[in-house]
Amino acid sequence: MSRIAPPKSAPVSKRDPRTGVVQSQDDVCPVCKSARYMNPSLRFLVNPECYHKMCESCVDRMFSHGPAACPIKGCGRTLRKHRFREQTFEDIKVEREVDIRKKVGATFNRREEDFETLLAFNDYLNDVEDITFNLINGIDLEETNKKFETYTRAHGKEIEENAQMAVQERQSFSAAQKLERQQARERREAARREEEEEKREVEENRRDVLNRLASGADAETVAKEGQRVQLKKRMDRQAATERQSYRRLKTLTKPEPEAPIDPFDGLRLVDSYFTLQDDYIWEGIQEARKDVKQTAGGYDVGDYAHRSLVAAFSGLGVFVADEITQRDQLAQNDGVVSEDVGLKDAKMIHAA
Amino acid sequence: MTQHLNEDDLYRTSSQYRLWSFSPEGLAALRRKTHELAITRASQYATKSNSYDGQGGAAVDCLTSEECLRLVQRYLDQVRTTSDHFKWPIPVKATAVQYLARFYLSNSPLTYPPKEIYKTVLFLACKTEATHMTLSEYARRISTPADEVLAPEYKVMQALRFTLDVRQPYRGLKGVLMELLNLAEGRVGEAEGVETGGAKALQAEMQALEMPPKTAQTMWRVKPAGKIESKDQMDRINAAYSAARTILDGPALLTDAYFLFTPPQILLAALHLADEPLTSFYLRTKLPLDSDLRPKILTTIAACAELLDSFSGSHILSKDERAALEQKLEGCRDPSTRDLVGSHAVAKRGGDGGEEAEEKARKKKAAREKHLKEGPAHSPVAKSSSLASG
Repeated sequence: MSRIAPPKSAPVSKRDPRTGVVQSQDDVCPVCKSARYMNPSLRFLVNPECYHKMCESCVDRMFSHGPAACPIKGCGRTLRKHRFREQTFEDIKVEREVDIRKKVGATFNRREEDFETLLAFNDYLNDVEDITFNLINGIDLEETNKKFETYTRAHGKEIEENAQMAVQERQSFSAAQKLERQQARERREAARREEEEEKREVEENRRDVLNRLASGADAETVAKEGQRVQLKKRMDRQAATERQSYRRLKTLTKPEPEAPIDPFDGLRLVDSYFTLQDDYIWEGIQEARKDVKQTAGGYDVGDYAHRSLVAAFSGLGVFVADEITQRDQLAQNDGVVSEDVGLKDAKMIHAA
Repeated sequence: MTQHLNEDDLYRTSSQYRLWSFSPEGLAALRRKTHELAITRASQYATKSNSYDGQGGAAVDCLTSEECLRLVQRYLDQVRTTSDHFKWPIPVKATAVQYLARFYLSNSPLTYPPKEIYKTVLFLACKTEATHMTLSEYARRISTPADEVLAPEYKVMQALRFTLDVRQPYRGLKGVLMELLNLAEGRVGEAEGVETGGAKALQAEMQALEMPPKTAQTMWRVKPAGKIESKDQMDRINAAYSAARTILDGPALLTDAYFLFTPPQILLAALHLADEPLTSFYLRTKLPLDSDLRPKILTTIAACAELLDSFSGSHILSKDERAALEQKLEGCRDPSTRDLVGSHAVAKRGGDGGEEAEEKARKKKAAREKHLKEGPAHSPVAKSSSLASG
C-alpha cells in the first residue's frame, strides 16, 4: 500500500507593502521558471500586445536589444521593451478590457452636449459599446476596425477639440476645488472670530450692569436696559452676517400654471347633421337609463346616443366612386404607384 | 388653432375609406387583374404537372371569373350561417363577411379555395369584434383541426393589409331609429340650415305621411280605420327599422355595397327600401334644400337601394352547384398552396432564409458566454494598426 502523499499546504502569500500587489511564493516566471522563493524581489511585467507576463529580468534580457518575438509558446508577436508595464489589475482580462476601453474612449469622446436629442446620444453610446464589445471578444474584427478608422478619419478635428476641452475642464475643476477649500477656511475663521466677539460683548454688558447697579440706579430699569442693549447688539450682528452671507439664494419665481392638456391638440368634432337631444324615448335608451348595471359604472347613456348618431352620418356626404377615382388620377399624375388602391396585393399571389 | 371636423371628415380617416372603397370600374378592374394573374399562374403549374405526367400540354379547365365570384358569394353566405350557428352578434357576422370579400379582391379561389379560408376568417372576426372564443372550443364546434383554422391566418392578415376595422351600418340604424321616434313624439334636434317649422309642424307632417308603397319591405300597413295615432307611428317606425335591419343582414353583406358606398348611405338605402316616404321625410329634416350635396346624396342612396334590391337569395349557389364547382376547382387549383398547415409550420420555425441570421446570433451568444467564463486573453486581440498605436 503506497503512502498517501501529505496534503499540499496552502501557498504562502502576502501583499507587497509598497505596491499593494498580492505576491505568493508560487509565482513563477513562465519564461525562465525562476520563483519568488529564490528571488524575493521578483517583479512581473506585462505587455499590452499579448498580455503575457514575465519577470523583469527576462524582459531586460530579451528585449534590450530591440524588438523581439514573445517567448510564450504559441504567441510569436513582436514585443517592444518600452511597452512593458506593471499589471494594475489582478485579473488579466480586466486589464485588457480597461486598455481597450481607454483606446476606444480616446477616440469616441463626444459628450452629451454635442447631441440634439437624448435618443441620438443613446444611439451613439450604444454604437460605441458595440464596438468595444466586438473588440474585447474578437467578433467581426475587420468590420469593427474599419468602423474605427472611418470614424477617426471623419471626426479627427472633433476628437482633438474634445480632448483639449477635457484637459481644460480638469484644470479648471482643480482650480475651482482649491478656491472652494480656501473659502471654506475663511468662513470657519470668520465664524470663530464672531464667537469670540459675542463672548466679549456679553462680558462687557454684564460688567456694565453691575457697575450701574453698584452706582445705585434702579435695579429693574438697569436690568431691562441691559437686556435691550444686548438684544440690539445681537440683532445688528445677525443683520450684518446676513448681508454678507456667502451663499446667495435665487429668488424663487413661481412657475406659470400649465394650461390644461388638450388631448386632441385643437381638433374638434362638430355634429353637422344632427343635434344631440337630452333624451330619446326609444326604449333601449330608457331601459339603460334605469338599469343599475349600466349606470353604476358611470356610463352615460347620452354617449351611446351620440355615438350612434355620429355613426349614422359619418360618410353620408362622402361619394366613394368620385373621390377614389379622383385620388387615383392624382396619384397617377404624380407618377407614384398608388398603394392604397390595393393593386399591389394582386402581385402578392406571386410572392406567396 | 382649432380645426373642426365633421362626421364626413371622420369617415375619411378610416381605413375602410382609404383602402377598401372603390368605384365600380375600379373594383371590376381589380378583380379582373387578380383573376388574370391566377389564370396565368394556373397555366404555369398545369403545364408543369402535365410534363411530369408525360401528357401533352392540355389546356386546364379553370373556373371563369363569374364562377369564382359566385363561389365566393356562396361562402360569404356560409360565413353568415356559421356565425348564426354560434349565436354571435351581428357585428361579428358583418366583419367576417367583409374580411372574406376583401381577401378575394386580391387573391383568387384558384390559389386559395374558400373552403379552407372561411373558418379562419370567422375566427379572426370573432377576435376582432371582442366576442372571443378559444381556438380549441371553436375548432371543436366547427369540427376542424385547430391548426387548419390557424394556418391561413397570416395570409388573411396580409391580404387585409393589416386593417381590421370594418365600419358597419347597424349602430347608425339604431341612431336613426332613436331620432325618428323622437320626431314622432314631437321632440326635434335641429340640423344646420334646415328649415323645419318647428317640432309640432314636423310631427303633424309625419302623421300626414303617405302610406308606404306596395313594394316596400316593411310589414306595417295602415289600419282600415284610417286615423293615425302616435302609437301607430311608433309601430310604423319600428316596422321600418326591422325591415331595414333584415335587408342589412342579408343583401347588404352579400353584394359589393360595402366597397361602393359608405355605411350611412347603405343604411339609408335599406330604410328607403323598407319605407320610402318615411325616409324621404327624414332626409328632408336633415339636408338643407339649397345645399349642393343634397341631390348627390339622394342619387347615391337611390343607387345603393337599387343595388340592394337587385340582389335575391336565388342568386346564391345551391349545394349541388357548389359541389360541382368545387370538383372543377380541384382539378385546376394551385398545388403549391395545398398544404397550408405544413407551410405555416415551416414559416413559424423560421424557414430557410433565417439560417444566416441564426448563425450570427448564435456566435454572438457564444462569445458573450465565453467572455463571462474564460478570459479574452485566450482570444486573439485585434491586430489593427490603429489600435496598436493607441
